[in-house]
Amino acid sequence: MRRTARLLTGAALAAGAVGLVVTPAYGGDSGGLEVFPSSVEPGGEVTVHTEFCPRGAAAGDASAVGTGSFTLAPSTHDEQAAGRFRVPPSAQPGTYEIVATCAEGGKRVAGDLVVTLTAPRGQTHPRGSVKTGVGGAFGHDPVRTAAGVTALAVAAAGGTWLLHRRARGDGI
Amino acid sequence: MSRAQEAQVRSDRRMGDVAIAAASVLALGCAVLLLAGGAEHPPPQPSAAQAARTDAPGAGARAAGTAARALPPSPPDRIRIPAIRVDAPLTGLGLTSSGSLDVPPAGRPDLAGWYESGTTPGETGTAIVAGHVDNADGPAVFYRLGAVRKGGTIEVDRRDGGTAVFTVDAVEVYDAKDFPDEKVYGPAARPELRVITCGGGYSRATGYRGNVVVFAHLTGSR
Repeated sequence: MRRTARLLTGAALAAGAVGLVVTPAYGGDSGGLEVFPSSVEPGGEVTVHTEFCPRGAAAGDASAVGTGSFTLAPSTHDEQAAGRFRVPPSAQPGTYEIVATCAEGGKRVAGDLVVTLTAPRGQTHPRGSVKTGVGGAFGHDPVRTAAGVTALAVAAAGGTWLLHRRARGDGI
Repeated sequence: MSRAQEAQVRSDRRMGDVAIAAASVLALGCAVLLLAGGAEHPPPQPSAAQAARTDAPGAGARAAGTAARALPPSPPDRIRIPAIRVDAPLTGLGLTSSGSLDVPPAGRPDLAGWYESGTTPGETGTAIVAGHVDNADGPAVFYRLGAVRKGGTIEVDRRDGGTAVFTVDAVEVYDAKDFPDEKVYGPAARPELRVITCGGGYSRATGYRGNVVVFAHLTGSR
């Protein structure tokens, strides 16, 4: 029984590890600090940002990966705090926790950075044309169609009235 | 009623009938014009003058502005093209099973997208942005992309808080059957941007023939 439990735990851990590895280069937002790219080569530059710091200032700490502290400053176009640091060329592959502490309120946010020896980004580029339209701009303009239908109704009413007059023998 | 009065009434009626007949014919003409002809609004397409100059590679780029230093990687948030009044949020895009660039959901015509496994706008390399020219309901975010001209400005707000400023080098149209993958998507030695939408002629049977592609390079940041 205990053995089964241990096996299950092992399987769960393995599944978790696989989950971590195959997470696309956009994850890393568990804990409020988004890390981009979430997977980087030694020597690469990393941008972090968070929306959890009021007025957008915070102190960053990347000492886990060997960089030390860095500053997060308020963004010019939204309410977020953003900063960047460079991973040391000597960094070993692995997963590191990057931390930021809000200047106001002292809230602590964190995100994961994966250091890998193979460049995870920019290896494949798209192929061929892009399907970005279906021709809807060529359809009938609803306002124009409504105007057309109204004009048709006016013509029909006029014609009917004239025919009616003729039938009554009033003559044109 | 006297004979003269009767004649007067008849004459008035005749005038009225002629007026109604004329109005009816006019209305019928308008209806035909409005319902049948000229209801199409093709998106603008770039002229040959907006294409990249093939006689002197890079000449257009040099004339349009000096290249700025590359920015660190940071995902983008918004794209602005002031000349065609575009100011749109960006969503991440992947690849389809056939290897072509995926597109934003058709139900969000106001949304553009960027290829998030590739270069981020502002860092060295070729960053790729795409958006719909239209959807089933009508024009979408990049409907007027073909009207962008050389030397125009494209701005990308980045999540690191800065804004990357690009200058347009060329606007070209490619047939889907003969799409120049390397030229559009291939790597670059400086920070470059491609903005892509559908274009190049349209038929009801086969849809748009290809794509309008805007080529730009980084000339500043703030």
